[in-house]
Amino acid sequence: MRGLTKLAWSEFRLTLRDPMTTFWSLAFPALWFLLMVVVIGMPIPGFDYHGQGFASLVFPASISLVILSTSFIGVPIALTAYREAGVLRRLRVTPVRVTTLVAAYSLSQLAFTVVGVAVVTVLAMGFFEVRILGSVLAFVGVLVCAMVMFLALGSAIGSVARTTRTANIIIWSAFTPMLMLSELFMPLSLLPEWLQPIAKALPLTPVNTLLRDIVFGVPLHDPWRFGVLGAWAVVSLVLTVRFFRWE
Amino acid sequence: MPTMAQPSLALKCEHVVKRYGDLVAVNDVSLEIAVGEIFGLVGPNGAGKTTLIEMIESLRTPDGGSIRVLGLDPRTQSVELRERIGVQLQATSIQPNLKVKEALSLFASLYRKPLPHPEELLETLSLADKANSRFRKLSGGQKQRVATALALVNDPEILFFDEIATGLDPQARRAMWDLLREFHGRGKTVFLTTHYMEEAEALCDRVAVIDHGRIIALDTPANLVRNLKAGTKVLFRVTNRAVASAEFAKLPAVTRVEPKDDVFVLYTSDGNATLQELIRYADRQGLSLDGIRTETPNLDDVFLALTGREMRE
Repeated sequence: MRGLTKLAWSEFRLTLRDPMTTFWSLAFPALWFLLMVVVIGMPIPGFDYHGQGFASLVFPASISLVILSTSFIGVPIALTAYREAGVLRRLRVTPVRVTTLVAAYSLSQLAFTVVGVAVVTVLAMGFFEVRILGSVLAFVGVLVCAMVMFLALGSAIGSVARTTRTANIIIWSAFTPMLMLSELFMPLSLLPEWLQPIAKALPLTPVNTLLRDIVFGVPLHDPWRFGVLGAWAVVSLVLTVRFFRWE
Repeated sequence: MPTMAQPSLALKCEHVVKRYGDLVAVNDVSLEIAVGEIFGLVGPNGAGKTTLIEMIESLRTPDGGSIRVLGLDPRTQSVELRERIGVQLQATSIQPNLKVKEALSLFASLYRKPLPHPEELLETLSLADKANSRFRKLSGGQKQRVATALALVNDPEILFFDEIATGLDPQARRAMWDLLREFHGRGKTVFLTTHYMEEAEALCDRVAVIDHGRIIALDTPANLVRNLKAGTKVLFRVTNRAVASAEFAKLPAVTRVEPKDDVFVLYTSDGNATLQELIRYADRQGLSLDGIRTETPNLDDVFLALTGREMRE
């Protein structure tokens, strides 16, 4: 794993230098939180709030958006851009191993996730009295699982799509359905019957609902949600290994 | 069984073949390069230069034949090989927002034995004032030099250089030549491709001419020219009256006369004898000669003689 820390640190700084990715991973989830809580302001009907405020519903959704930005959007864009520019090709003539590259990039995105989560958490807990009633450890555990799954999914998109253009098309055509159907602000019960199983199978749905349950202190139910996470991770890894190209 | 590493051989290719569909990009190429040589692969665009060099660098897999670089098989020992070679790709980029000095230290960190002070390369390559510039803000020539610096961070035993002249102005090109000679002076091996014959002539100990994937000549530049037996050309114009080209065919050592526009081209096996008699002949006949010059053959003529085509069309 020679070069790992240097590569990870360098990727982290490079991401910071790119205002668009910084916006999506750090500012967008916080802005979403403020938009929902301050501007919309009133609890959306159809959700069970377990006696908590509306902000406690928006908080896990905003955390989900952080992961979505750093991994689902960040990874394929960077991967395809590097491939198109010949950066991957240049790295390939050094002794660096693919696993080191992937690990370095994941570490960098993990760091961004931590910062993004911290921003939203400080906002929610410091100013809107949100509390995690369940286990904080479980909360972090779900975060890590979600992170791994979305990193894998991002790599898969970056491997299947050869160009940034294609990657963008895939990302944004999947982003909107996830925004609408993963219970970020619309309860599943409002969806037509036939759409509900599809919504439950989307990768963001288990992440968002598991985090929300932990915030509300609801005991774990529907363990198949972990199955959904695992299935997406496995499919993504297979796609990545099958379709990854250096150039 | 892998062949024994021969310490004096930097590179050995035997019957290397690469196909893309029906196109045979590299066709039965065999080569041996000694440690400490500057070796040039010349040929027009599309001749197979890049395909061959990239197979040697372990970026592409040959369809047939065997390659050993420093005794290593690029197919199975690529990581070890990449530790010990430096590669300048033809079209290359690094992370666009990376600063030049960051790039050097990042790439150095990827090697087992990097140079102790990679940033000194910036001085050597006249990039010191660009140390804090982002890669994407550099000019084409500066990017090329950064790529060269990155190819040298591990103090490689062999430097591979694909299309060395690309993007460089004449001055930068000279500086690059000096750098390669200095590298070579430390007993290192250089493998370069170019489609500029004068570059191969100026730099290389030996040159392989490649066309349609095949090596059609391989020797020192001087020998390639000598074996051509193309002799010297004497060129001039007659400015005061019309002359039939047959008149010059009688001059000593002239093998052929070719009028080219208003210029006469005498092909001769003895440039001096022809030139002296030409002057006397012109005096006697009252001819005014203008722009007399001689041309000795170079590798461009070698390529023309071997293929019947100009290198640059």
